[in-house]
Amino acid sequence: MPGVDHCLQEAMAIPGAVGASIVDYTTGFPVATTGAAPNSDHEAAAAGTADVVQAANSRSLYVSALPHDLLEDLIITTAGGYHLLRMLRTDFDSRLVLYVWLDRVQGNLAVARRRMQKLADELVAS
Amino acid sequence: MTVTASKTVSPGRLLTQVAGERQTGVLVVGGHPGGAVYVLEGRVVYAESPAAPGVGELLVASGRLAARTWQNALDLGTSTARVGRLLVEQGHLTQGELELCVLGAIYDAAYFALSPAAAPVDFLTGATHWLGPVVHVDPAAVNREVGRRVGLLDEIFPDARVDTHAVAPVTRPPRERVTLTSAQWELLVNADGQRTPADLALLLGRAGYATVQELRRMAALGLIEVPEVRVESPEFVRLPQARGTAVDVRRPVVRPDEAPATPVVEARASVPAPAPQPPPDPPRHSLTEDSGANQVTYRPPRLARRKPGAKLPKEMAGEPPPVHQGTDEVLLKRIRTALRALR
Repeated sequence: MPGVDHCLQEAMAIPGAVGASIVDYTTGFPVATTGAAPNSDHEAAAAGTADVVQAANSRSLYVSALPHDLLEDLIITTAGGYHLLRMLRTDFDSRLVLYVWLDRVQGNLAVARRRMQKLADELVAS
Repeated sequence: MTVTASKTVSPGRLLTQVAGERQTGVLVVGGHPGGAVYVLEGRVVYAESPAAPGVGELLVASGRLAARTWQNALDLGTSTARVGRLLVEQGHLTQGELELCVLGAIYDAAYFALSPAAAPVDFLTGATHWLGPVVHVDPAAVNREVGRRVGLLDEIFPDARVDTHAVAPVTRPPRERVTLTSAQWELLVNADGQRTPADLALLLGRAGYATVQELRRMAALGLIEVPEVRVESPEFVRLPQARGTAVDVRRPVVRPDEAPATPVVEARASVPAPAPQPPPDPPRHSLTEDSGANQVTYRPPRLARRKPGAKLPKEMAGEPPPVHQGTDEVLLKRIRTALRALR
């Protein structure tokens, strides 16, 4: 039965994964964390993650006008790594995002994105 | 089970203390809104507050669980404190969903229970929660997060009165163009000037803190009324009830759905059949004859016969009209009819 910890373990099994967390993006709070975080500070990373998600969610530039065309994931690349944010959609009220930090050399963006999609679905779907 | 004497302290500090001693029990925080934080061997396993919807409210209000499913789990699992585990074992929820829901509920309620700097606090040693331990959270993390959330709200709009007062949208927004998130829309649509943020959170099945956060954002945008300092004007809030007591008990009861918009005209048409004796009586009197039970005790006030179209004497006309409760509805119906006619 996959719980939150199991989900994060699986996320760390993604090739190149350095760290993973589940972040409440209304408050910028890491609900669960594992592995490393940028600047080794999960809470600061979560706060930054929340800002990014809020920006993408609330600025009309990125918000689709089509019904049910919801934000799925955000990908930020740097010279040294990939930062992937996947929205966790629960039926009950929550505002959570799955965050995985990948090493640029070992990570594969397409593989990681698909694995995260699967993880996010398994975590909340029965 | 021992109960510490209720004392006014910082709830957060007491939590740190009992956690340090690896105690098991519940920290009950009084005051408004207050709450309770359940600790199992020094780790936080649940928290609840009247201002924050609990796990059950979140799952049922969102439609994730049928109310009956939740009730069944409560009936079966409350005595053994394994409601959460039952829901997963019976396949109603995934472990992930349950954990995320409980985590959300804990931090949400903890904000309301632990944010006061001082409150009457009790610690009941040995108490456990019926949900059962689903997650174990470090109390230091809870305290830290509560403090951070307090600061976040003040950054948005530093007026805590928004958090507890009934929500009233402004009738005219102070700007040409208004952009709302869906959460804000939900709140505005359901704010009726009576519901408090806690009421709205429960009604919509949304986290209490997230509700307060959106309300502060809207207050900052000038979209909701910021409560006035003077609170001593309850008559603005609840109108009709107080007047009802002044009505003569012997008056006939007029149900609002029966009360027509133009009672005099319509009722007069129905007068002749039930009330043969005084034909030109005011219409309400004929209604008593219908209700039967009080026809003996109820004597209509003797009135001089009036000319057609003459107004009622002042002492009669001055009374609150019996159609009062239905007026709004009737008026709205008439407006709707008029608008339909225009199409």
